[in-house]
Amino acid sequence: MKLDLAIVGQGAVTPAGVGAAAFAREPRAEAVPFVGQPEKSWPAFRVDPQAPALARWRGEPRLRRASPISFFLVEAAEQCLAGLSAEERRATGLVVAFSTGSLVYSRRFYAAVAREGRGAASPALFPETVFNSPVSHVAAALGLGGAAYALVGDETAWIAALKTAWLWLREKEVARVVVLGAEEFDPIVLDVYRAAGWLRRGSRFVPSEGAGGVLVRAAEADDANILTEGEDGFPYRSRREAEDAAQRALIGIEPAHVALPSARRNWLAPVEAAATASRPAADPGPYLGEAFAASAAWATLRALSQLDTHSKILQPVWGLNHQIGTLQFAKRRSS
Amino acid sequence: MDSERIPVITGLGAVTPLGTDAVSSWAGLIAGRDAEGPLTLFSTEGCRAHRAAMAALPPLPGRTAKELSRLGRASRLAIPAAREALAGAGLLDPAGRSRLPILSLALSTTGGGMGFGEEFLRALGRRRARLLGPAARYQPQQQVLDLQRELAVAGPSFLVANACASGANALGHAAALVRAGAAECVLAGGFEALSELIFTGFDCLQATTTERCRPFDLNRSGLLLGEGAAFFVVETEAHARRRGAAPLCRLTGYGHTTDLYHLTQPEPEGSALVEVMARAARQAGVSPAEIGYVNAHGTATPVNDGAEARAYVRFFGEALGGARISSTKAAIGHTLGAAGAIEACFTIQALRAQRLPVQLNLRDPIPEIAAALVRDPAPPRPFAHALSVNLGFGGSNAALLFSQP
Repeated sequence: MKLDLAIVGQGAVTPAGVGAAAFAREPRAEAVPFVGQPEKSWPAFRVDPQAPALARWRGEPRLRRASPISFFLVEAAEQCLAGLSAEERRATGLVVAFSTGSLVYSRRFYAAVAREGRGAASPALFPETVFNSPVSHVAAALGLGGAAYALVGDETAWIAALKTAWLWLREKEVARVVVLGAEEFDPIVLDVYRAAGWLRRGSRFVPSEGAGGVLVRAAEADDANILTEGEDGFPYRSRREAEDAAQRALIGIEPAHVALPSARRNWLAPVEAAATASRPAADPGPYLGEAFAASAAWATLRALSQLDTHSKILQPVWGLNHQIGTLQFAKRRSS
Repeated sequence: MDSERIPVITGLGAVTPLGTDAVSSWAGLIAGRDAEGPLTLFSTEGCRAHRAAMAALPPLPGRTAKELSRLGRASRLAIPAAREALAGAGLLDPAGRSRLPILSLALSTTGGGMGFGEEFLRALGRRRARLLGPAARYQPQQQVLDLQRELAVAGPSFLVANACASGANALGHAAALVRAGAAECVLAGGFEALSELIFTGFDCLQATTTERCRPFDLNRSGLLLGEGAAFFVVETEAHARRRGAAPLCRLTGYGHTTDLYHLTQPEPEGSALVEVMARAARQAGVSPAEIGYVNAHGTATPVNDGAEARAYVRFFGEALGGARISSTKAAIGHTLGAAGAIEACFTIQALRAQRLPVQLNLRDPIPEIAAALVRDPAPPRPFAHALSVNLGFGGSNAALLFSQP
């Protein structure tokens, strides 16, 4: 799908740091025990909740009971919106892509029910388990007056979120849209990923958390940093189907387009290597682990940072359990 | 708007607590039936409420028991509804596959495969590692994949989880895709299966009723949870005409916004709802006086229905006397991520049949809208436009306006 979006703001919260520090280095992993087998552990990248950039939001009334994901989101969104007036914010929409959403509170809510019975279920926790609660918190905390959507999926939900922003801008519903991807870590994901076969011996896959995002508006003639195309819709259910889907996703994209490696250490990395072998590669930067839509957002920020070096960059988006898609960026609208 | 790109609905399908397809669901609704009953899918021990509106799962011929268990309840609700919509639009082949191999999907849910997630958590609690396999099927994109696999389609997908307005958002998104020329034809819909976690959550909020569900009644005491799915084929008028499909209606207006007042309560005057109804009407070029029926959100919670009633008074003004309003949640329960889709389905059926679902369980109506609440299935006058509105946690508000073709 042809898009014509100018990226005019950026924000990131990663296990490596916040804002400019987000891509400075590979984070240090901590060993986290499996919930179902505490004698065993797996490395994970965690965001430091005490980081001043996150801690400053603790006084925000809507975030009083919020899960870590809301803090990641509000900080990344504020970075995107830096310099915008209250009036401009009222004309701004919000789309957030998740994979598991408010996992920490969902697990805590259910664990309390399992432990103490349904009568002990927490009315304070339950609303925070709903996918769009963090989205609502961000909109309220930052005064965003447009529509606010929570989209769900694997990494490719990031593409759907950007396409949604384009539709809203095309219909002139809002002047600009903050588009974010976010994920929070809970030890339970280790058990889930192991059940999915992603943590086999020899795997260097590191579960991660954080948020990343961009502020977009309809592109004008002299804009820089343009998102020109976004395509999803190449589903798969096996490795062989994933290989086919990867080939189909890349058909028609100029062979000289520089590709940003983004599968990194997940199980699709060999598929990516084969599918993009003939293309020049952009610098993926330090490995930040796997945080689904947040990872896809971080890859977009890495792509944008290299548009001075490469006039066009292809970001393949390797969805880990649904589909494969692509984003294309250009330095200039006319390039 | 380019008239060739006005979205039309050419097929609809539903699985609801009232029936395993759209026709039987509508027949039950218009006959005044309700599907409230004891909840037997999981234990409700310790909860205040023990009743819900459960849907019967339609058969999926040719599937083994193992295949059916892999699909999960949410997919078992969604797949038949999607097939019914495609069949109605003339887009289903005899093997149950889409005739369009590339088909955009615009979908909604709130719980996705929550049942798999609960199974996983239970297995984890018992340290039964070999039972952890279903975990991978918990995420809602797995139901999207199930649909794509069963219908033999590929193509872009959009899955919104905007609480109880999600279904309306999915349809609105489909319409926007069509208007923008980003798709000629979209399969849009919502699905939701009852789950222990969500039922317990609403129960602990004391949002569920232990009595009858009475939307817009002064003595309303809470909602009844339900489950189901509804799907639609949304396409351009030109695309429908080219393939000889007759539109059931046009989707002429969509409004959506976020109420920033509170995470779980609407602003008491219903301002966001007024705004989305006004936007939908403006997009359609329709005045409030031309709208003959509103399928209301009407959860029967004290806070929601009061704000919603005030919103209708403000939006319709003097035209309120000519409008008719009802919430169908007393009949099928609140189906959360599917509610916007199922209620849109009922709205379209009301528009086509020129018959209205009566407001069930009404004894002492909220005075401001008492005259507008539906008591007789026969509308006071023929109408060409009908609204379906939804509100949700997080302040999601959405309105869809349907017009006769």
